[in-house]
Amino acid sequence: MKLTLLVQLSWRNLWRHRRRTVILLTTICFAVGSVLVFNALLRGMQVSMAETAIDNLNGHFKVLAPGYLDDPGIEKSFEFEPIGRPELAGDAIQGWAPRVRVPAVIRSERETRGVQFVGVVPGSEEISFLGDVAIDGEYLSGPDDRRILVGQALAQQLETGVGRRVVLITQGVDGGNRESGYRIAGVYDAVGEGIEKAFVFTGLATVQELLSVDAVTEVSVRLAEDDQNPSVLNSLTSTFSDLDVRTWQDLEPQAAMMYEMADTTVAIWFLIVMGALIFGIVNTLVTAVMERVRELGMLRAIGMRRGAVIAQVVIESMLTMTIGISIGVVLGTLSYLWLADGIDLSAFAEGLEMTGVKPELVPRLWARDVFLVVGLSLVLGILASIYPAQRAVKVQPLDAMRG
Amino acid sequence: MNRTLSCLAAGMLVLSTAAADAEDLTAEELVSGALDLMRGATSHVELTMKIKRPDWERSTSVVSWSQGREDTLIRFTAPAKDAGNALLKVGDNMWTYTPRLNRTIRLPYSMRAQSWGGSDFSYNDLSRSDQVLRHYDLAILDKRQDGEHTIYTIEAVPHENAPVVWGKEIWVLRDDYVMLEQVFYDQLQVALKRMTTLEIGSMGGRTLATRMRMERLDESDHWTEVVTDSAEFDIELPERMFTLFTLKEAT
Repeated sequence: MKLTLLVQLSWRNLWRHRRRTVILLTTICFAVGSVLVFNALLRGMQVSMAETAIDNLNGHFKVLAPGYLDDPGIEKSFEFEPIGRPELAGDAIQGWAPRVRVPAVIRSERETRGVQFVGVVPGSEEISFLGDVAIDGEYLSGPDDRRILVGQALAQQLETGVGRRVVLITQGVDGGNRESGYRIAGVYDAVGEGIEKAFVFTGLATVQELLSVDAVTEVSVRLAEDDQNPSVLNSLTSTFSDLDVRTWQDLEPQAAMMYEMADTTVAIWFLIVMGALIFGIVNTLVTAVMERVRELGMLRAIGMRRGAVIAQVVIESMLTMTIGISIGVVLGTLSYLWLADGIDLSAFAEGLEMTGVKPELVPRLWARDVFLVVGLSLVLGILASIYPAQRAVKVQPLDAMRG
Repeated sequence: MNRTLSCLAAGMLVLSTAAADAEDLTAEELVSGALDLMRGATSHVELTMKIKRPDWERSTSVVSWSQGREDTLIRFTAPAKDAGNALLKVGDNMWTYTPRLNRTIRLPYSMRAQSWGGSDFSYNDLSRSDQVLRHYDLAILDKRQDGEHTIYTIEAVPHENAPVVWGKEIWVLRDDYVMLEQVFYDQLQVALKRMTTLEIGSMGGRTLATRMRMERLDESDHWTEVVTDSAEFDIELPERMFTLFTLKEAT
């Protein structure tokens, strides 16, 4: 039997009960649309989380002295020549930033707090959040700038501000105390008070001078593309063979876990929605088959093959799914476009800061995800038609026509 | 910034030697002269410290020994609750000892801005010695005659990179090196703390401030008064005076 004829038959069957089909189509539309929107939101959150983790002085990779992570201090440092760029595949690297980061105590006239004192090369920090953070006052002018940048939350705690002096105290390589006064060049407003309270920045040479070292404690490497290329990691590991090369997932295990969890959440949501939908489709198809017992019996009697009967039901299911999915994808994409400017979550900002999600959520709809959803839905459509098709095949021509 | 070390720890020893010719004194000479005189000596001082807060006040007795400009041992002797709590400063390091816990703790820098023994003095106040000379620019703002003495008002402004949080300090010194007043300003030039000499007396063969009060200017009824009950200078101190061993020893 010709396929076109079967499709034609199925198509006609579909529109015999116009209202029923429309309701089913609507259900499919909403299911697919909602899965796509939900997926875009979660992807947005995922990207934002990863970006925050990478921005927060981690980079995609970070080179550290062995043991620094367990017990950070200037004695765990290494020499780094910025000229000695590791031989890496083409333009895989967007940039890298050497830093000296040591635990320190900051004092104002009224308060004392524990912080991380970070010496940076200001020009290299476009790879971290420092590159585009909002600053009240001035950014550091160069690696030998003797002024500092403090976070807004820290400045409030210390009751200090731009242009005023604070004292930083830390430990030198010999274990002795090093202290010096620094003037505040600017107050930065980062995503998350945790960051603002944790980091005080100044020029790299300034911290090196305070600690009498030439070394750095870390080098962050940022890739041009978010997809981590294992060859870059290999290349870094062999370039810095006696050092510790870590990925951002190593450095921010919590963010990495949340990142992984988003994938699972999308899958679970898809299964719940589509699972419910399958029962709707099965039910509708079975009803349609039962209504046509006589007709199916007749068709079998005049010589339609079992395969053709099965194909008819499957095609009917696929037609419904294809139409429903198409409209659903259009609807989902439209909703995504409507939200694409970002959703303002600042009302929940405090809770979100914990997870490192920025207060503005920009959804991401990836073609990869759309294809996956469409493909899986079609597969589910076929699966849903198995049972109704079986029912249709079981129809005995004699019984059917007698009944 | 030598203020409290000189007052409490080093024992408020300000020489009553005839003041140098008042006309010739510069700010540096006034300050360093006073410091130099205090440094060379050893001291043994007994003090009463009175802490006042809006809803309570209490009085404690303290004994202190000092040697040179770096070494100090301070111990509470009364009331019983506080007796034995002690503080040792040797060079740049400080330790505290609490007999009830039988623990000696080396004070990290992060804790040195905290109040010492509940008073209006911080550990930092006790630990600075010659900081004023190293980290401040000194200038005489005012000079006036008060009876037989000349009173100097000195402004001390910390250097740009000095490890000092204050905006400036104003010292009022008499020409025989008795400090009359010391005021600490924040960087907006708002006065935060003030130490005032309330009584000047003769003790241990020297003329010195015998009653001083450190008060918080941003909160009312918030002050600590230190009264010198007895003082001896240039005495023999046992060699092991400034050790962790002595710190734990209730003498």
